[in-house]
Amino acid sequence: MTAVERDPRGIRIGLIGFGILAYLTLIGLPGRFEASAPFVMAIVTAAIVALALRSEAQRHPPATVLRQALIAGVIGGTLIAILVGVFAALLGGGVRIQPVLDKITPPNVAAWYGLPTLAVARGQLAAFDFLRPALLVLLGSLAGGGLAIGLRRFTARSAPSQARWVVIGLPFILLLAVFVLGQPAVTFGGAQKGTLRLLLVMLAVAAGLFAMRAATPGKERTAVSFALLAGLAALPFMLDQFQNAVMGIVFIFVMMGLGLNIVVGYAGLLDLGYVAFFAIGAYAYAFLSAPFSSPWFSQQLSALGLPTDQPLLSFWQSIPIVMILAAIGGVLLGTPVLRLRGDYLAIVTLGFGEIIRLFMLNLADLTNGPRGLLNLAPPTLFGYNLGNPRDIFILALLGTAVIAFVAFRLERSRIGRAWVAIREDEDAAQAMGVDLVRTKLMAFAIGATFAGVAGQLYAARQVNIFPDNFSLFVSIDALALIIVGGMGSIPGVVLGAITLKGLPEVLRGVDEYRIVLFAALLVVMMIARPEGLLPSERRRMELHGEADAAAERAS
Amino acid sequence: MSLSGTGRRGTCDCGRQFQSDIVSQSLAVATSLQRRAQTTRWIARAIALLICALVVARAITVSLAESYPLTFWASQLVNGLVLGGVYALVALGYTLVYGILLMINFAHGEVMMIGGVAGFFALQLAQALGWMRGPAGLVVAALLIVMGIGMIGAMFTGVALERIAYRPLRNAPRLVPLISAIGASLFLQYSVLLIFGVSPLVYQRPALISGGFRIGPVFIPYTGLIIFVTSLALMGALFVIVQRTRLGRAMRAVAADRDTAALMGVDVNQIITFTFLLGSALAGAAGVMLGFHNSVIKFNSGFIPGLKAFTAAVMGGIGNIPGAMVGALVLGIAESIGPSALGIPAEYKDIIAFVLLVLVLIFRPQGLLGEALAEKKV
Repeated sequence: MTAVERDPRGIRIGLIGFGILAYLTLIGLPGRFEASAPFVMAIVTAAIVALALRSEAQRHPPATVLRQALIAGVIGGTLIAILVGVFAALLGGGVRIQPVLDKITPPNVAAWYGLPTLAVARGQLAAFDFLRPALLVLLGSLAGGGLAIGLRRFTARSAPSQARWVVIGLPFILLLAVFVLGQPAVTFGGAQKGTLRLLLVMLAVAAGLFAMRAATPGKERTAVSFALLAGLAALPFMLDQFQNAVMGIVFIFVMMGLGLNIVVGYAGLLDLGYVAFFAIGAYAYAFLSAPFSSPWFSQQLSALGLPTDQPLLSFWQSIPIVMILAAIGGVLLGTPVLRLRGDYLAIVTLGFGEIIRLFMLNLADLTNGPRGLLNLAPPTLFGYNLGNPRDIFILALLGTAVIAFVAFRLERSRIGRAWVAIREDEDAAQAMGVDLVRTKLMAFAIGATFAGVAGQLYAARQVNIFPDNFSLFVSIDALALIIVGGMGSIPGVVLGAITLKGLPEVLRGVDEYRIVLFAALLVVMMIARPEGLLPSERRRMELHGEADAAAERAS
Repeated sequence: MSLSGTGRRGTCDCGRQFQSDIVSQSLAVATSLQRRAQTTRWIARAIALLICALVVARAITVSLAESYPLTFWASQLVNGLVLGGVYALVALGYTLVYGILLMINFAHGEVMMIGGVAGFFALQLAQALGWMRGPAGLVVAALLIVMGIGMIGAMFTGVALERIAYRPLRNAPRLVPLISAIGASLFLQYSVLLIFGVSPLVYQRPALISGGFRIGPVFIPYTGLIIFVTSLALMGALFVIVQRTRLGRAMRAVAADRDTAALMGVDVNQIITFTFLLGSALAGAAGVMLGFHNSVIKFNSGFIPGLKAFTAAVMGGIGNIPGAMVGALVLGIAESIGPSALGIPAEYKDIIAFVLLVLVLIFRPQGLLGEALAEKKV
């Protein structure tokens, strides 16, 4: 194909890139990075162009690829320079854009130019300054083209067989780095040290998941798994309060995700109201451990002549009751929707989640309404208070281990195969003798049980719980994490929880952009890699065909 | 079936015999399972019937006990019709898209919201130009322009949505586009929040349409009347487009059988884009009207009305255009009369829609007006 024919692609990439950069400007991203904004925007441009040209680089000579990067850069750069220039001119002229576009403020626009805020606010830009964004995007785009070419070179070379050992060794190196960085004598950038360590911990856990997959099945995998588990068990004792608190919430979400994974990943029942079971678990534990904060419960207790100022049951005694209540909740909410499929199920379960939240908010006698239930008892063991972040993290790890083991065994059991069968084709499964009612209700009940226990631990961690803790976004988060990780894949759930619940804690500054980022990630994931980051083998084959999966295994 | 014992049994005939044995056995299993499923279905229906009876009984006792004046019910009915009109416009978008792609455009409520946002800025501009204080003719023209801009904003969003989030997934398993739609819905909501800020956008009604009039003792706000009449007019226009034009015929053909329609020379992609365009235009109009009626539009203004409108579309029989209108009016009335008739706090208003949705799906999955859908679709 001649270069002339390929040019429209460069134009398209330029326009798409302009769209993305303009969007990022409108949501105020450059202003967030202040002085380093030009650099960040150039990197973003490079990433967009590299991704867009990745497949081109496989088929065309470097000159063609660079030419397209150049065209994309010129078009995207010119357009963005015009847009930002118009904003700068308006702001310099004293026009307030903010009432319409909230984030178009002098600091945000000035960040594009890499200039101080005042220069834009007072309209003191030189003619050359207006060209800066264009040059920036052009350079970024060329770098992206180069990256695409480089990546092709890199992937074209066959990986040496020792690469496996690098993958396996990586988590241990990262763990070692976490340990070393934790020594008081080691200093690194002051306040940044804690965040860096947290990031390393998450990378280590994520790398561990890939290491387990890279190990040859058999003795090697067993040995690697045990070594990794030992490392994971040592983590709570190496981390400080904040890091433990973050990892605790990550693993509570892993517990919840493993439950949702059974409902959505195995049985294919898209449940958007999963937070209901999490809430049932949390509220059940709250009633059992802090009956005094529920008006109705304390009334009943005093009517029975029982003391109203102490927990009814301890954390451990509550677990079976919470599990049973959550399972009953699962069956109750599951029964009416047995006949629904796919989209309808999603909407109805979403409705259930909202109904439960409305009840929590409005049944003030029972739940104390928006004021919440307060002073829940922390878990204790032989008189020791296990309510601190480290022990909560340990409890979450133990809970995850138990749930992951149960889920792993269930997946390979008769009922697990029945779930997969109804996910693939309900009618065929029924014809083969799968009892749809029982199988679906089992999925709902088991999934709900896991979420209930996760909710109990969450409630014990939070001490005070409010209806707002159980909004639709908890359901969406849980769903997003199993999708990003890979539906139906247990390691995928852990990876998804780290990506979606853990990383935002590290990137505290961009918290505002969390939801947009996840939302965009969901769409992009569905288009580019619907099977998730760490998919189960079966899922990958379904979505990409067997030939593809075989090719990937062979490479 | 590869498990036939041809080799062992010698002749092909016997093999076939064996095969048919297995088939009849598995058919027997299937029928017995189906019978059980039928039994559970009847139990579910009985429960739903019981719920309905309880609801009716409760409504009668409450309305006897509370004895609201008749005018109260009449004004609630007016509210319900207005709400129903808005739901109907949005529900039509769900129904049109579902009829053609068999997918729920989960982000449709957000398309409506963006229509409302676009209309808000058009209104600001019109106010800045002083059109809203001019003679009545100018105000009406300006209002029509505002609504037009809202519709254009929504159309742009809807088409972009289809192009970016849905088209690449057209042949993917069913969960995949739904998840993409959920992502798109969140993305649109929070982008609006980030771009336009947290403060709600306040619609200022021009003097011409604020206030209202009385029929006997019942007060009817002008905005309510305008919403209802405009909804009916837009629905009529849609009906004409779908039933009487060439494009409408192509739409119906694609809905009936996409592959055959393509073979007959229909450009399927173009028709799908056109469908999103139509549905989004109606939603945009609904967004602007909702803005005038409620006075505010926020980033999440589209979410709950979107769910309600979807409920309405399902109630009327999804894929069925008159059904969506009927379902929306029923839902709007149920929602505005429901809380006082059942004597429950108004906060539980949202529950009514979801309970209705579940009841309809158990009782009449094909909806009030829908033709019997294949089980697959439900």
